[in-house]
Amino acid sequence: MSESPISIGAPGLDVDRLVADLQATVDRKMKDGVYADARVARAEKTNLAQLRGSDDFISFYLTCLRDAVFVDISDFEIRERRRFFGPLLVAFKKTIWKLLKFYTYRLWSQQNQVNGLVITALEGLEEQSAARLAALEKRLAELEGKAAGHGS
Amino acid sequence: MAPERLAFVCPRLAGEGAVGGAETLLKNLAIHAAARGFAVDFLTTCAQSHFTWENALPAGTRRMDGLDVHFFPVDERDAGEFLRIQQDIDRGRAVSASDELCWLRNGVNSAALLRHLEQNAAAYRAIVLGPYLFGLTWFTALAHPARALLVPCLHDEPFARLACMKRLFAETAGCLFNSSAERELARELFGVPDAKARLVGMGLDPFDVDPAAFARRHRLAAPYVLYSGRREPLKGTPLLCDYVQTFRERTGRDVKLVFTGSGPIDAPAALAPHVLDAGFVGETEKHEAMAGAVAFVHPSVNESFGIVLLEAFLARTTGLVRAQSRVLVGQCRAAGAGLWFRHYPDFEAQLLYLLDNPDARAALGRRGRDHVAREYAWPVIEAKFLAALADLAPQ
Repeated sequence: MSESPISIGAPGLDVDRLVADLQATVDRKMKDGVYADARVARAEKTNLAQLRGSDDFISFYLTCLRDAVFVDISDFEIRERRRFFGPLLVAFKKTIWKLLKFYTYRLWSQQNQVNGLVITALEGLEEQSAARLAALEKRLAELEGKAAGHGS
Repeated sequence: MAPERLAFVCPRLAGEGAVGGAETLLKNLAIHAAARGFAVDFLTTCAQSHFTWENALPAGTRRMDGLDVHFFPVDERDAGEFLRIQQDIDRGRAVSASDELCWLRNGVNSAALLRHLEQNAAAYRAIVLGPYLFGLTWFTALAHPARALLVPCLHDEPFARLACMKRLFAETAGCLFNSSAERELARELFGVPDAKARLVGMGLDPFDVDPAAFARRHRLAAPYVLYSGRREPLKGTPLLCDYVQTFRERTGRDVKLVFTGSGPIDAPAALAPHVLDAGFVGETEKHEAMAGAVAFVHPSVNESFGIVLLEAFLARTTGLVRAQSRVLVGQCRAAGAGLWFRHYPDFEAQLLYLLDNPDARAALGRRGRDHVAREYAWPVIEAKFLAALADLAPQ
């Protein structure tokens, strides 16, 4: 993910075209799952209010969020950067981790269950409102068609 | 013959430890009006902080930059009551007319300033005042509507939808807007007619600085993006921190984040070592910081005029702004020197593009500088201001 998404020559740059090209590339990559990343969901936490009007983005955000909601409760490698007493500190931290695991595992499992339920509920609501909106749009189009028929 | 007098009214004076776009704009307009031969009284309060509004400066009159600056004390206020109502407005709840008035009364006001105008208003050809959402502006404008020229610095925000604001825009003699997007918003919200609206804005003096000076002074070896101004959630600075941190994590590129200005920076812990807070710096250092940046990021949505964005264009630096900000996108489009992002994926793609295409960056930078030097030269802005004055406050 470190290469530039697009390459356009500098002379005669048109910012409208440049932004449109970059956005088209981004939209394609979003569909391909390039940005389906828990870190993207976290980065957008203060931007959601501005994106309320974008149905596509909310669906994409929920996909990213699904990756972000579960707390990682697996064992992990414990490291120590300090040179002195490094191995001793690692051994100490490992012991603490093992001793507390009985409690933390229970706590985090419950948190993960709650997080999972919340995201499922959000996805359900989003699907429901999208379906309802589609039905309303269809009904509106039918009514407009009928009204046009009566008017002519 | 004695020169014609103009009064400018603004809650704070820019430069006295205070930083703010509207304050800077009004002060600069006043200075240039004085340079054009007007006798200018700049009426302001003794406050410096827009958080506490405490009287920090001594009251009285001082001659500064060709202006007679009159400092008046801020009135006692019930900040609790003000915040209670402000919170309701912010959340989009219906607020009664009496609560609107209470909110204005407990905002920033100065009875001493109003008394000064009561006694001297007839001596002024016009009272130029702003921004729109302060009690001081509202009460002053409605006390002298025939002379009031409002520089609203209007944003699309809940405060703009208050009934009291409709009255303000309806009764003032005229409005001086900073951008066509702001003027359009005033038409949508208040139906401000063309006869009462003029586009003025603010001029900027071109500058030339060493683009490497800021990085050298602060020992910055990696490329950096910059934001200058107040740091607060409404300005989008937490979003900028989140985006830069995510950019660093996802792309593995070492890009630093530089801030100039005032206010706390709420950066994620992992980003903190890569943030440089230069604080409140002088104009030259700010311009050097701009000239050396890969991009100037303006993460705010509610703006009526991006002065710092135009300064960045003058420094030949590309702007990156949020697609949701009509005004900033308009400025990027008009200058052909900035890009706009809808969300993080756009931001990542655009920053990568700028990092990897120095030629394109330079081309955008040249175009931005040419545009600002041509459209925002002071003689151009002064002419617009004088024309607005002739139309809206005839002698």
